[in-house]
Amino acid sequence: METTKTLNSSVLDVRNISVSFGGVKPVQDVSFTIKENSFTSVIGPNGAGKTSLFNLLSGMNKVSSGEIIFMGEAIHSIHAHKIAQKGLVRTFQGAKVIRRLTVAENLMMAVKGNPGDNLLGFFNPRARKSFEVKAREEAMRRLDQVGLTKFADEYAGILSGGQRKLLDLSRALMADPKMLLLDEPFAGVNPTLVEKLLTVLAALRKEQSITFLLIEHDLETVMNISDRVIVMADGKIIADGLPKSIYENDLVIDAYLGSRRKDS
Amino acid sequence: MEAFIQPGFWIFVLALAGIYGIFSLGLQIQYGVGGIMNFGHVGMMAVSGYTIAVLVIKYEWSFWWAALAGVILAAFLGALLGLTTLRLSGDYFAIASIAFAEIVRYWILNTDNVTGGTQGTLAIPSPNGFASYTDKPDVILTWISDRLYPIIGDEASRDLSMVLIVWPFFGLFIWLSSRLQKTSWARVLRATREDDDVPRSLGKNVFRFRLQTLIIGSVFGGLAGVFWSVQFALLAPEDFLRIVTFYGWMILILAGATRVKGLFVAAIFFGFLYGATRFLEFWPLSLLSSPERAYLRVFLIGLVIVLLMVKRPQGLFGKRQEMILE
Repeated sequence: METTKTLNSSVLDVRNISVSFGGVKPVQDVSFTIKENSFTSVIGPNGAGKTSLFNLLSGMNKVSSGEIIFMGEAIHSIHAHKIAQKGLVRTFQGAKVIRRLTVAENLMMAVKGNPGDNLLGFFNPRARKSFEVKAREEAMRRLDQVGLTKFADEYAGILSGGQRKLLDLSRALMADPKMLLLDEPFAGVNPTLVEKLLTVLAALRKEQSITFLLIEHDLETVMNISDRVIVMADGKIIADGLPKSIYENDLVIDAYLGSRRKDS
Repeated sequence: MEAFIQPGFWIFVLALAGIYGIFSLGLQIQYGVGGIMNFGHVGMMAVSGYTIAVLVIKYEWSFWWAALAGVILAAFLGALLGLTTLRLSGDYFAIASIAFAEIVRYWILNTDNVTGGTQGTLAIPSPNGFASYTDKPDVILTWISDRLYPIIGDEASRDLSMVLIVWPFFGLFIWLSSRLQKTSWARVLRATREDDDVPRSLGKNVFRFRLQTLIIGSVFGGLAGVFWSVQFALLAPEDFLRIVTFYGWMILILAGATRVKGLFVAAIFFGFLYGATRFLEFWPLSLLSSPERAYLRVFLIGLVIVLLMVKRPQGLFGKRQEMILE
C-alpha cells in the first residue's frame, strides 16, 4: 500500500465507468484520477450525471462497465457499506439526517469500530460504555466546530435545512474518512454559512489530510477552494483542469448557457 | 358483569396478557426499533408450538428439548423469511410476511400425519396412543398450585400457576429487550427505520441489522409459542389465524411502539378486552348470544387500533415527537 502511495499519490482512480438504466445512460465512459489531499469540484448543469457518478463511487449503484480503484483496491463491485468502511464516505444532496435520532446520536452512530454495533457486544457492557463515552465526546467536539452544540439532545428533525447540512457533514467526518464525497453541500445555504463551511473544509484538508471531491452547481462558489474542476454534461466529462481554465472554456459555457451565437 | 369480580377471570386475563405480551415484544423490536412491518408474526408462534407438540407426542422427546427446538426453529424460519424477502421494502415485506404465516398454517392444516391437520394436536399419531405434550410442565404447574392451595384454597388454579411462571419471564424479556435497545446496535437500527442510505454510507450493513432484528423478534414469537402451547394444552390450525398477529399489533400500538416498557400495561388491557367481551351482558350487547359477543373483541380491537392511530399515534407511553417528525 505504502509503495503505491509513494509511486503515485492517487487516492481514487476511475477508469472508463459507465452505467445505464434501461435506455438512460447517466454516466458514460468517465475516467479521472484524484490525487491525495487534493480538492476537486465536479460541476455541471442539472442532469449532467454528477449525483449518478457519486452513486457509483459510493457503491449505492453498480457500474455497468469500467473500474473504480480506491487506495489501490478495486471497489466497483463491493457493497456500499464496505466502501464506506474503507474510508470513502459520502454525503447526500439535500442533507439526509435521521430525524428521529437526536443530533448527537446522528453523529455517534457514524463512529467506526463500535463494539456495541455488534450483537455480541451486548455481552460486554464495559467495552460498550467506554466506547460510547468517547463517541459522545467526539460528537460534542464536532458539534462545537459547526455551532450545533445547543441542539445536541434535540431530535435532528427539528433542524433547519442549513443546520442539516452541517450535521450531515459532521456525521461524515465522524466516520473517519480518507476521502469525502460531498454532494452539493452549499445548495440552499446562506452565503455566510457557505463561507463558514468553506473554512471548515479547508481546515479539514490541512489538519486531517482528507481528500475532497465535491459536487457543486455554481463554479463561483468553489473557485477559490478547488485545485481542479471537472465539468460534466450529459453523462460525460467535457472539461477537466484548473478552475481558471474552466472559466474560459467554450464547451463549459455552452453546456451552461446553450451554444453561443457564432456571429456575436 | 359479575364475572369481572371473580379472581379466576383476572387470573386468566393476566395469563393471556403475559403470553401475548411476550408475543408482541417480538413485534416491538422489529417495528418499534427496526421499522420492519411483520404481519406474519403468528407463524413463529405456530411453528414453535407445533414443533413442541409433534416432537413430544410423535417422537417422544422431552418437553424441554422440544421447547428449545421450537424456539430455534422459529429463529431459523425468521432467518429464512428475512433472507428471502427482507430486501423488499416496507409494505412489500409486510405482504410477504402475511404469506409466510399462511404457508405455515396451511402446511400444518395439510400434513395430517404429522400435525394432526384440522383436528389439531389431539390427532397427532403417537406411539403410545397418548396425544398430550404438557406432562412435564404440568408437573411444575401442579407443584405450584399444591403449594398455594393451603394458602388461597380453590383459587390455586392451573391458570394462576401459569401467571406465576409467565410473568417473571415476561419481565425478564422486557428487561433484556430494553437493555438491548439502549445499545449502539439499536441506534443504528433506529436509523435504518427511517433511511437505508445514511447508515450504508457510514459503513453499516443495513441488511445484517434488519436480519438480526427479524431473528430476535422471531425468538420472542417462538417463546410466546412455548407458553401458549402450555397454557392451552392443545393446538389447532385455527388458533394461528392472521388475526392473532394483529392482537400483537394492538398491544404494540397501544403501548407505543418505541417504548418497550409500556407493553406491561397494554398487554393487560388486551387480555381484558380479549377475555371480557363474552361477559359483557348489558343491553344492547345482551341481544347477542355469547359466542357472537366473543366476536365483539375483533371489532373492539380494530376500533382501538384505528382510534389510537388517529388520536395518539405514539400510544400510551411513546413520545409524540418521535412518531411525527418529518
